[in-house]
Amino acid sequence: MIDRDGGYVRMRVLQIVVLFIFLVITARLFYIQIIDTRYARMSDGNTLRREVQFAPRGEVFDRNGEYLVQSKACYDLMVIYKELDREGFDTVRFCEVIGISKAKLIKELRNARYRPRAPRLVANFVSKEEKLRFDECNFKGFSTIYRTARQYPRKVGGNLLGYVGEVSEQMLKRYTSYRMGDYVGLSGVESAYEPILRGDDGVQIREVDTHGAIKGSYFDGAFDTLPVSGRHIVSTIDVRIQLLAEELMRGKVGAAVAIEPSTGEILMMVSSPSYDPDELVGRERGNNYMKMLGNKRGPLFDRAVSAKYPPGSTFKLIQGLIGLQEGVLTPTNHYACHNGYRVGRLHVGCHPHTSPVALRYAVATSCNAYFCYVFRDILENPKYGGVKEGYDVWKEYVNSFGFGRKLDSDFLSERGGYVPDRSFYDDRYYKSWNSLTVLSLSIGQGELGCTPLQMANLAAIMANRGYYYIPHIVKKVEGIDSLDSRFYKKNYTKVDPKHFEPIVEGMRQGVVEGTSRGAALPGIEVCGKTGTAENSRGRDHSTFLSFAPMNNPKIAISVYIENGGFGATVAVPIASLVEELYLTDTIMRPELVERIKKMKIDYPVYDNKR
Amino acid sequence: MTIRGKSDSVFAGVDLVVVILYVAIVLAGWLFITAASYDSASASPYSFSNFYIKQFLWIAIAFCVALFVTLLDSRYFHMWAYPCYAVGILLLIATLLVGKEVNGAKSWFELGSFRIQPVEFVKIATSLAVARVMSEYSFSISRFSNLVKVGAVICAPLIIIVMQNDTGSGIVLGSFLFVLYREGLNKWLCIPILFIAGLFIVSFLLSPLAMLLILISVCFLSDIMMTQQWRSRIVLLAVMLLAAILLYFMVAFFAPGEFSFYASVLVVTLFSFVFVVVYAIKSKVSSIFISLSFFLCSIIFLPTTDYIFNSILREHQQRRILSFLGIANDPLGFDYNVNQSKIAIGSGGFFGKGFLDSTQIKYGFVPEKHTDFIFCAVGEEWGFLGSVVVLSLLCMLILRLIQIGERQQEPFGRIYCYCVTSILLFHVMVNVGMTIGLMPVMGIPLPFLSYGGSSLIAFTIMLFIAVRLDASKQQF
Repeated sequence: MIDRDGGYVRMRVLQIVVLFIFLVITARLFYIQIIDTRYARMSDGNTLRREVQFAPRGEVFDRNGEYLVQSKACYDLMVIYKELDREGFDTVRFCEVIGISKAKLIKELRNARYRPRAPRLVANFVSKEEKLRFDECNFKGFSTIYRTARQYPRKVGGNLLGYVGEVSEQMLKRYTSYRMGDYVGLSGVESAYEPILRGDDGVQIREVDTHGAIKGSYFDGAFDTLPVSGRHIVSTIDVRIQLLAEELMRGKVGAAVAIEPSTGEILMMVSSPSYDPDELVGRERGNNYMKMLGNKRGPLFDRAVSAKYPPGSTFKLIQGLIGLQEGVLTPTNHYACHNGYRVGRLHVGCHPHTSPVALRYAVATSCNAYFCYVFRDILENPKYGGVKEGYDVWKEYVNSFGFGRKLDSDFLSERGGYVPDRSFYDDRYYKSWNSLTVLSLSIGQGELGCTPLQMANLAAIMANRGYYYIPHIVKKVEGIDSLDSRFYKKNYTKVDPKHFEPIVEGMRQGVVEGTSRGAALPGIEVCGKTGTAENSRGRDHSTFLSFAPMNNPKIAISVYIENGGFGATVAVPIASLVEELYLTDTIMRPELVERIKKMKIDYPVYDNKR
Repeated sequence: MTIRGKSDSVFAGVDLVVVILYVAIVLAGWLFITAASYDSASASPYSFSNFYIKQFLWIAIAFCVALFVTLLDSRYFHMWAYPCYAVGILLLIATLLVGKEVNGAKSWFELGSFRIQPVEFVKIATSLAVARVMSEYSFSISRFSNLVKVGAVICAPLIIIVMQNDTGSGIVLGSFLFVLYREGLNKWLCIPILFIAGLFIVSFLLSPLAMLLILISVCFLSDIMMTQQWRSRIVLLAVMLLAAILLYFMVAFFAPGEFSFYASVLVVTLFSFVFVVVYAIKSKVSSIFISLSFFLCSIIFLPTTDYIFNSILREHQQRRILSFLGIANDPLGFDYNVNQSKIAIGSGGFFGKGFLDSTQIKYGFVPEKHTDFIFCAVGEEWGFLGSVVVLSLLCMLILRLIQIGERQQEPFGRIYCYCVTSILLFHVMVNVGMTIGLMPVMGIPLPFLSYGGSSLIAFTIMLFIAVRLDASKQQF
């Protein structure tokens, strides 16, 4: 037996043990319920399923309010495997209605089996019509989610408008606001104005159980948001001339850009070959995309803003302007030209014309020799003490016209072209070079690389007599009063506006009696400058730079056709027809349209199998 | 506290505190079961197939049973102790032979549509038998033969239950050590048994640091118990803790990442050995050496369990041991259950999500939510506040049972009360402990709160026998 006091002590000990156990439990509860907030988050992760309500993407109009890009309803088809009626499910009918293959259906259903109560995507881009027929059939276990897809009523502006695709892995990592499966603009206007077009997806927070089945809304939807559709964009494009230019450019490789000189708005922008933008929407997108990637002519390459072309004779405009500004040239200066420019063994050829010529006629007839003289005078100006210093000055002028650098337009894929630095020639010629070494620059050949957008911008500068607005594609964004301030700023070149008049007169003369005669329009004073750029890729490139009317210009245009031959053969008629349609709303020369449309140029460079 | 004066009433002397606590806990339990099994989408919220409706019936039956037990003559319990025990053992054997296997344990008896778990009632029978054996006039726990007798009474059902593969319930009977301690079991026998068993289980679950801290506190506790000098011990403990923290930060400052907190605690502990030994020699307190050697033995024993487990045992043997400990009964399920249970309780926060507003429980993320993991419903819907209230009710009930036991004049009553206390305490500790990741999953219910007729009625009978014995003590 135990004595009473011993029992008392042991009772106390046991009481302490009991209290201790409860204390430990309470402490642990305090820790996991109050201190450690991890569990609350994990609980949300268990039970809250965020259901996205996709925002309709903003639409794009042309400058006159016509649809360029429309959002059409399309649906994602989801399945909840558990609710499938497996006996009565008519798979043949289903595949017929939705338009997917049976093999794909079986594959998707097999995947859906892993989480039988959670909705899973079976097919996307289900059209409204398919959805209506599908609803009639009343297939059990299937449901649709509303989304929007792009559609292009006028089927123009493939590279210009860009395309929309599923967000990539890299983008997901970089931008947290995107989720798997989201659509995002990947090129052209779609990517440049992605934040505006995208809108805000809404979210419905649902509570789900351990099987993934939906049990109800979270806090009666207090945290749900409605989708806010993307804003509409009015683009600067005029769909009539865009369409015409695309048709005229078919079968040719090159680019054409038209700008409204008084605003910098891009009226038309074609990169050829183009593609039907509808081909990059929907279930066939992947296949079509691969096909385009495989096309050696590169329909996905936006030549209008990215290609580097030698500007050819159109560059003579700049030489003349710099010469006038630098005082090494006056409009009345005459230079002799007998089929070209000769210094020692060096010879720059020219076509036959009267000699000697003054500035205006030199521009009009595109005399090579004349501008060789001008260019050499600029570089060898004793004011600067040397050719290399003279070259630096010349380059600065050229840069001020927007060449050799990005124009800072609203195209993300815009490139800067290329105007070589002095160091480039220093490296190439081991520092021993002179104005003759780089003489081909005088007629826009050599190492020069210009984008068609830069050339159109040059046309706009000529039209404005000395300044430009940064070319841009967007006229107005819904809900925003003005665009970025950079688009409203006049950018002056380093050449005084007063020097432009003789050159412009030369351009006018070119249309009246020079190389650009094909561009003449009755009753409109068209100014233009042809270009024929020699190149290593076959026939000469054909290019034309123009604006009209001469006073109070409405349109400035540049057309560049790879391997098109003389400027006058292809580029001039295309530019002229576009100007005609834009300025007069009619085409008086339908036979010319037909002729140009039918004209096909061979491109051994692209099409020959190597 | 007790109804006096009406000596003619059969309810005279019934301890109202226990009754009120019991009713409160059972009704609260019904609330939790409702939450755990309520399905707002259910077509028939009042149909009998719902757990909360069934439990409502079980509660009604349990109240009747409580009334019935209270009406019995307390002498019967003394009389029936051995027969009950014998019947219990036979039932267990029968279950082992013809029982139904549920969740891997062959511990259920099926009678028509009813299933009962005899083990719940065997706990009562064993409690009665232990009380009877130990209250014999000639019984002395210090006598070895008597100790063996009690040990046999406890171990016979325990072994059968373990053979049924219902390890959790078997270990419950091990909690009778609590009773033996109260009745004077030599503490040098008691503590090591408890300790080694605990150490072995815990060594699989806790980090070395936690183990070391537990060992240190246990040593101090045992020393305080032996010497009754708690002031100096607590001062030493505080100094050691401070020194360990200081050491840790100092080393971390000069050589970050080189030294874990565990290592600094170990260093401080080993250094303090010198002081403790000097102190023990000076003040001639030999019991300190016992604590010290105990500590050292444990430190050595700890890696040994790991070594034995990992190197000597084969994989299937390891699995058997883990399974025996209830740690790896269902290797995939184990982590999942406890994690989900911790998420449910942890997400409750301070005030909880509110009645029927749970997400983890309602949407089925917690398995066995209405039975073994019922505490998740408390934690998630009622938060820390509700959990503390429920735990306080249980704690008060257990402490009240100790109090009742102590005021018995007959050893039979006292021992029985302690038996009930130890069983309840063990259940609460293991069940709540497993839901918050402190204990391995053992699959034993939370008394009065878990869904299930067998368990509720068995615990009711067990508790009200104690109440009856207490009410009748004046009549002897």
